[in-house]
Amino acid sequence: MPPTAALMVTCLVDLLYPEVGVAVVRLLRRHGVAVRVPARQTCCGLPLFNSGYQREAARVARRTIPLFADAEHVIVPSGSCAWMVKAEYPHLFPDDPGATAAATALAGKTHELSQFLVRVLGVAGEAPAATPRLRVTYHDSCHLLRGLGESRAPRTLLGRAPGVELIELPGADECCGFGGSFSVRLPDVSGAILRRKLENVRATGADAVVACDAGCLLQLAGGAVRAGHRVRVLHLAEVLAGEGSRGRG
Amino acid sequence: MTTRPEFLERVQREMARAVGLAPVAASPRPADPAGVAAAVRAAARGRVEELFARFRTEAEEVGAVVHRAATETEAGEVVWRLAAERGIRRVVTWSRRGLGWVAAVAARLGDGGLEVAEGAPEEAAGPGREPLRGILAAADLGLTGADLAIAETGSLVLASGAGKGRAVSLLPPIHVAVFGPEALVPGLEEAALVLEAWHASGPRGANVVVVTGPSRTADIELTLTRGVHGPKEVHAVFVASPAAG
Amino acid sequence: MVGAEPAAPLAVRAREALGDRLLQEALSTATTRFVAARRTALGSLPDSERYRDRARRIKEATLQRLDQYLELLAENLERAGGVVHWARDAAEAREVVVGLARARGVRLVVKSKSMATEEIHLNEALEAAGIGAVETDLGEYIIQLAHERPSHIIVPAIHKTRAQIAALFSAEVGSVVPPDPELLTAVARRELREKFLRAEMGVSGVNFAVAETGTLVLVTNEGNGRLVTTLPRIHVAVMGIDKVVPTLADVVVLLQLLPRSATGQKLTTYTNFITGPRRAGEADGPDELHLVILDNGRAAQLGGPLRDALSCVRCGACLNVCPVYREIGGHAYGHTYPGPIGILLTAMLEGTPAVRDLAHASSLCGACLDACPVRIDIPRMLVGLRASLARERVAPWPERALFAAFGRLLRVPALFRAAGRAARLLQRPLLRAGGRPRRLPLFFRGWTAHRDLPVVARRSFTERWGRGELG
Repeated sequence: MPPTAALMVTCLVDLLYPEVGVAVVRLLRRHGVAVRVPARQTCCGLPLFNSGYQREAARVARRTIPLFADAEHVIVPSGSCAWMVKAEYPHLFPDDPGATAAATALAGKTHELSQFLVRVLGVAGEAPAATPRLRVTYHDSCHLLRGLGESRAPRTLLGRAPGVELIELPGADECCGFGGSFSVRLPDVSGAILRRKLENVRATGADAVVACDAGCLLQLAGGAVRAGHRVRVLHLAEVLAGEGSRGRG
Repeated sequence: MTTRPEFLERVQREMARAVGLAPVAASPRPADPAGVAAAVRAAARGRVEELFARFRTEAEEVGAVVHRAATETEAGEVVWRLAAERGIRRVVTWSRRGLGWVAAVAARLGDGGLEVAEGAPEEAAGPGREPLRGILAAADLGLTGADLAIAETGSLVLASGAGKGRAVSLLPPIHVAVFGPEALVPGLEEAALVLEAWHASGPRGANVVVVTGPSRTADIELTLTRGVHGPKEVHAVFVASPAAG
Repeated sequence: MVGAEPAAPLAVRAREALGDRLLQEALSTATTRFVAARRTALGSLPDSERYRDRARRIKEATLQRLDQYLELLAENLERAGGVVHWARDAAEAREVVVGLARARGVRLVVKSKSMATEEIHLNEALEAAGIGAVETDLGEYIIQLAHERPSHIIVPAIHKTRAQIAALFSAEVGSVVPPDPELLTAVARRELREKFLRAEMGVSGVNFAVAETGTLVLVTNEGNGRLVTTLPRIHVAVMGIDKVVPTLADVVVLLQLLPRSATGQKLTTYTNFITGPRRAGEADGPDELHLVILDNGRAAQLGGPLRDALSCVRCGACLNVCPVYREIGGHAYGHTYPGPIGILLTAMLEGTPAVRDLAHASSLCGACLDACPVRIDIPRMLVGLRASLARERVAPWPERALFAAFGRLLRVPALFRAAGRAARLLQRPLLRAGGRPRRLPLFFRGWTAHRDLPVVARRSFTERWGRGELG
């Protein structure tokens, strides 16, 4: 039986970067995974949670959880959303054991995309081509790096992706400055952090900066275009699926 | 003013509000501190050369200067040489009565024409404080022993006490500490075991200082400068085979 | 100035800091250096992760028996000849120290670095009583001459250039001092040496207080900590209740982590273990040792969500790794304690409303938790503070209304899709303007100040999937 996955597409990918969703589906199918996309998804609720609106976040979670009840694996192309489901969902319903059990079950079968590919499917990649068509550098999204403890899987995949050369980014583990509402509550600080990040990216000489989180893509792309940097901003899935020839930024 | 019972009662009331905590036990204290310390020392005795080599590396790393002398007499020569090189005139020392070698080194320095005074004579407590301060403040070099030498960090441990004034290692711009093999311990953990034994065995001085290199600061534009308030130079003189006492 | 709310809002203070080129350079250099030094130093500590676990356990074990350890500390220190004072709040603590100084005819106090004495605004109280109080830690001395507050827990004058410091020193000594760090340091040594010898009282903080032996542990680099606690005839140490540690063995675990986390040193130059005033036969050392044990809002956290913040060892590692601190520095935080842990400490000591803006001065990146030697989960507690602010209605009502509406939108797929369609329509004029409109309302203005707007896709992913476009 081929593995089956339900895609939690995430609000940002759904509305802003549908091509990332397309790349994820193509990528998963290429690795023999049957994909379905449960209807009526909206958001994992992280933006509400991080701003302190726990009750509202719990209500969003409560209606999200059943949408994925039948899934074998739930794949999330975003480190922050995967973290929300895995780390926080089980604690959102302290007075409701039933909901807590359902949330815990979902958390157990939810995976961020790169973690699913490397740690569940065991994808090792192919050897990189002699002449890369795309030189990329990788930015560690905070929730994937620190929340889910993952720094190797995306690098493994990029380092062994055909046609791709991976250049290590100085300060890769430093925040891009998005932080959800932080980016608009303290926009000048967010902008300064972003400038520093983009300067590091530019200094690598890479054609593209890659991340596993749509929030980071939003921040990096918005800043790159504004600053006139010629670097493209791509999701990991786009690079691996062989797309991103257009890219954003 | 809040009394102890009032204060602690308030703390207890607040502690009682913390529920659902997994209990965490504190680490146990050694039952026989003196025995444990003795074991530490015995183990160190078998590793003197290795510990000294590590001590030297670490101490130099933090900017101390390490000298090695075969005997106390040689130590006297070492200290005399470094004092002469620096144009030292006035020296203060720990008490000669407590530490025999101090007498030997002090004699050598005196023979060389330096003024040598004891920085912590017993009589100086109380009303004698002022003149003593004058001596200490004017000294160019302070000469002490070291109760312990920690290899892992290149540190000298100085316990205060009768005849072992604190200011001798603190006020003069140069500090020279002379010690023998029995002072060497591997690391901070072992040093703490010895401190524990010292504490249990009754009153010595009230102060123990672990000196790791010369006084330093990077407060001005992160530029490292030495000798801010404490000594600018620290010399550790290891006497490989000291005479008894 | 005592505990006052800063005059300008956080966003304005932040913007000022961002525009201060000298500050920006200083912060960049310092944080980069400290981050690298910390990494190297922890790398040389075998099994450093286990040390962090042990450190965390030690702190938690202490909190679980805090009353017993405080009592044990007091008993042991008193047995060694010390005097213990219990201060419920900053006012009481000030009263103890100033009262003691008056009673003993003290005219000059020398101080070594102590965040606790900053917190209780001790210097102002001493000055008001006509007693001179001189900071002797070089960075604090500089700050004092400049009439400023520290901008970093470890290097308080990090924002000052050598030229600025030279100007301050020149004014103080009445002759021109060149802007050379060696010469400036020599001037400070000379000026302060005279004060050490003259002062009747020395005031210090406490890094750790060992309950089992009644020992105060002071961790310093310059030597002023030793001078302050050796030369004057009275030594007063001020500590928060969170500084007590059960045993010497425990304090060693913390000593293996604190200097490495703070400055990348294995040990600071001087690690001082003080057990009471000087004893019979000692030629020097203070005649009296007084310990002021300070609550000032700490005990109240024991049963609350900020409990873990009581574990802080004041290393400053979280400041150095914080992307926000790195850009704005310490003054912009506007309170005694800056940086990630500073936000929690401010909430603890001044109440949650005091951090209505600061609680959001974080992208929740988690670098602070990563760096903390005692594994304090700062991001989690920041989110908790945000939740308190929302719940207690300290957050402004338009924000709460907005998030309530946002929550509804996310729960009703039809609304969610409708919002997407609306955004698609509304963005058309903006896209024609090249995606960089300057005068957008609400949060759009914040975004577009530094970034171009993202484009809402013509067809969302779920629409494409629903139409069977992906097979």
